[in-house]
Amino acid sequence: MFSGLVAFAHSIWSFVTPESLFYVFGSTLVGLIIGALPGLTATMGLALMTTLTLKLESSQALLVLICTYVGAIYGGSRSAILLNIPGTPASAASCLDGYALARQGHAGRAMGIATSGSVLGTLIGMFFLVLFTPVLGELALKFGAFEFFWLAVFGVVISGTLTGDDPLKGWMAGFLGLFVASIGQEAIYAFDRFTFGSRDLAGGIALVPALVGAFGFAELLSVMKAQQAPVKINPFDSVIPKIADVLQHWKTILRSGCIGTFIGVVPGVGEDVAAWSSYAAAKRASKEPEMFGKGSIDGLMAAETGDNACVPGAIIPVLTLAIPGSAPAAVLMAAMLIHGVQPGPMIMVQSPQFVYDVVAMMLFATIGILFYGLTLTKLMVRVLQVPQTMMVPIILVLCTVGSFAIAGRLFDVWVMLGFGLLGFLLRQGNYPMAPLVLGIVLGDLLEKSLRRGLVLSDGSLVPFFTRPISLVIWVGIALIIALRFDAVSKLFRRRPLTTP
Amino acid sequence: MSTENRVSPQADFIAAWVWAAFGLAVMVGAWRMDRLESQGASLYTAPGLVPGVLGLVLLLLGLLLALRSARAKGYLLGGIRWAPDPATRVVVRRVGVFLLLAFAYAAGLVGRGGIPFWFATFVFVTGFVLIFDWARRRAAGQAVKGLLRALAAGAMTSFVVSLVFQEIFLVRLP
Repeated sequence: MFSGLVAFAHSIWSFVTPESLFYVFGSTLVGLIIGALPGLTATMGLALMTTLTLKLESSQALLVLICTYVGAIYGGSRSAILLNIPGTPASAASCLDGYALARQGHAGRAMGIATSGSVLGTLIGMFFLVLFTPVLGELALKFGAFEFFWLAVFGVVISGTLTGDDPLKGWMAGFLGLFVASIGQEAIYAFDRFTFGSRDLAGGIALVPALVGAFGFAELLSVMKAQQAPVKINPFDSVIPKIADVLQHWKTILRSGCIGTFIGVVPGVGEDVAAWSSYAAAKRASKEPEMFGKGSIDGLMAAETGDNACVPGAIIPVLTLAIPGSAPAAVLMAAMLIHGVQPGPMIMVQSPQFVYDVVAMMLFATIGILFYGLTLTKLMVRVLQVPQTMMVPIILVLCTVGSFAIAGRLFDVWVMLGFGLLGFLLRQGNYPMAPLVLGIVLGDLLEKSLRRGLVLSDGSLVPFFTRPISLVIWVGIALIIALRFDAVSKLFRRRPLTTP
Repeated sequence: MSTENRVSPQADFIAAWVWAAFGLAVMVGAWRMDRLESQGASLYTAPGLVPGVLGLVLLLLGLLLALRSARAKGYLLGGIRWAPDPATRVVVRRVGVFLLLAFAYAAGLVGRGGIPFWFATFVFVTGFVLIFDWARRRAAGQAVKGLLRALAAGAMTSFVVSLVFQEIFLVRLP
């Protein structure tokens, strides 16, 4: 334990330089603005920042990205409270009580609660990141090809089940993502699959342009479809968090922090589910559930703590299993690979210091959001009043640059446009995007693991079903699917007691 | 929890058959792939194995969606109003114009050799702001102000993006 503390202190000290501090405060501010502006998602923001940081040293690049991530998830609360429009999907739950508080003349207090919830949520998530990463890393060393195959399937199935309203559509999006990942030259014989003679397609569909399209361009199409009216923001009082609000709601903070972190660990689920789950749990545990949706401090605190606790939680499976816990974490993972960091089970063996570096980056990001949460409210209000007709073309320019810059291919701009259109059409049909993205990320792992496993077992499927960890995972998958059917879920429902 | 759209059973019914057809096409494509036996590939290392399985899953999920939407009478397509109402037409036009501009910029202007990125960006941003803001500005008697704002937005965007990406962060632009 002591060596861990020393390593952590060393990581913190390594970032106390003028350059790093500039990146911390600059990128947290950029993240805040990205999160606050409807039409810009955290995923898209991270994808654009990945482009911007291509030439930076890897530790600086990841520092920028983590600060942007934390800032973006926190920033969504600004527009949720002031405009009743979530800046990112993660802040949708904050709209319910945040905006109600604003309408009651307590917008400043609501923003203070969002700041304290977000700071404390990130800190709770960081604690679990330090605690569980070595444990999960040890467990992941026992995983072989068979286990990774089922883990990839599990990621797509759980993501499809928990995101959106319709698991069937979630699974369809997930398996579509797995198929997209198979386009291009396959790994063993370099055979072209579904390339139709195109040399560009032979290189496969790159993750970052697909993400920018699905989360950036698709979002712009949705914004143009909805066409918001000009925003009007009511005046507000002090935004400084009250200690009394924190002390009075400490149970909610702890509960939401744990829920948010746990949901972050689940592959492909993400901050919006973390926020809603924390909100629902707080409502169930509250002595005044009827206040939820009408300006409940508990509700807002739960939502903001949960969604920010999800950020460190989503990084845990990235570091230990190379499986992202959320869509922005998928971009972070792609950025790690671009900068030569190899996440996965060997990280605690090959570069354990890196894990402490990540925790230190989160700590600095937390300081950043606390600083801006206390000082920058009036500027944020101005940013929120930028008209849509100005914002949309600028974001499209950034999407184009972001897609092009990774590999310098115009084809990637086409990929961005194509996935944007596909993402928009899928959204109209209520198909969630997160499983699609997770499928693209996990497709390569799934295929390699399946083929490697079949070679090892000489074509036999038995080890896939009988090895202990594989057994647990595939039974879990089967249960998740089976519970969606009424006939099965009825068996697990508690029957009401009947009086004789 | 969700803020998604409501989708009719008819829309789901049609989409289900599109998914099923897509899944079937993927399976056929995978089946027709070379098995590479001459290179020593076995069935379980054949290139078409995983896409074939994925195609089968998509086909089955598509059929499941078709069955579910049929139970909600999604097969009754007669009641669908194929001609959109005026409000929907406005939305479709707005999104359509945006798509056209986006494709024209990202794949047209930017992709062509000889047109500098900063100029293509200036034209696009200025044009976009003018097209979507013009009617409102003109109605308010602010046509000149609107034009100047559009030009300023285009100039600022192309300058700042070029400066930040190309000069400060050394990222290659299209």
